[in-house]
Amino acid sequence: MAFQRRNTKKRFYQRRKVCRFCADSTLEINYKDGKALRPFITERGKIIPRRITGTCAKHQRTLSTAIKQARTIALLPYVGKLS
Amino acid sequence: MRMYETIFIADPDLQDEVRKDLFEKFKNILVQEGGILANFDDWGNKKLAYEIAKKSRGHYVCMTYGGTGTLITELERNFRLDDKVLKYMTILLEKDVDPEALKQQIDADAKAEAEAKAEAEAAKAEAPKAEEPKAEEPKAEETVEVEAATDEKEEDK
Repeated sequence: MAFQRRNTKKRFYQRRKVCRFCADSTLEINYKDGKALRPFITERGKIIPRRITGTCAKHQRTLSTAIKQARTIALLPYVGKLS
Repeated sequence: MRMYETIFIADPDLQDEVRKDLFEKFKNILVQEGGILANFDDWGNKKLAYEIAKKSRGHYVCMTYGGTGTLITELERNFRLDDKVLKYMTILLEKDVDPEALKQQIDADAKAEAEAKAEAEAAKAEAPKAEEPKAEEPKAEETVEVEAATDEKEEDK
């Protein structure tokens, strides 16, 4: 009985997210373009994990360095404001 | 030789002349230390993501150049000494670059840029001619045509 119930509970599934940098190779990750990095940080300025954005490991790595570089030169905030 | 990219934020409230002198100073240091300036990009005044030295705006400048480690230390020492620079960041682009090849590429880029400019000007000069042919004097038209012809020749080369 218990086994069955778990099965029904697990039924919902999510659409597989695709890394948008793999899908479109013309997209480049560059720290100088702060606006392009905006979708990958929260309002508070935190880097969004790849399990949410769907970015692949390789691109998430370059993305996180780019975001950190952009923060250093004040293109992105370390601590964002609640807006 | 290595390729570097340095972004620095200059004080936004500087006079134009002072700012020019400041940029010249850093360019001179670059050349003195044996660096090759590939690109000097002035982004202008931009809003900062957070305040630096009580300022919410900054004048961004991006320099791309070839150089060695000693050049970086000297340049960054000067950035630190100068009050007019709010912040700087240097990034390594390529670890091994041939100085001669870099120079050649810079020349080629400059040439391409000049050609593009000339082309744009020619197009600009031709546009009003097409719109109002009566207003322009025949002499001006002739010079425009000659310019366009020389441009084409350059392209052929």
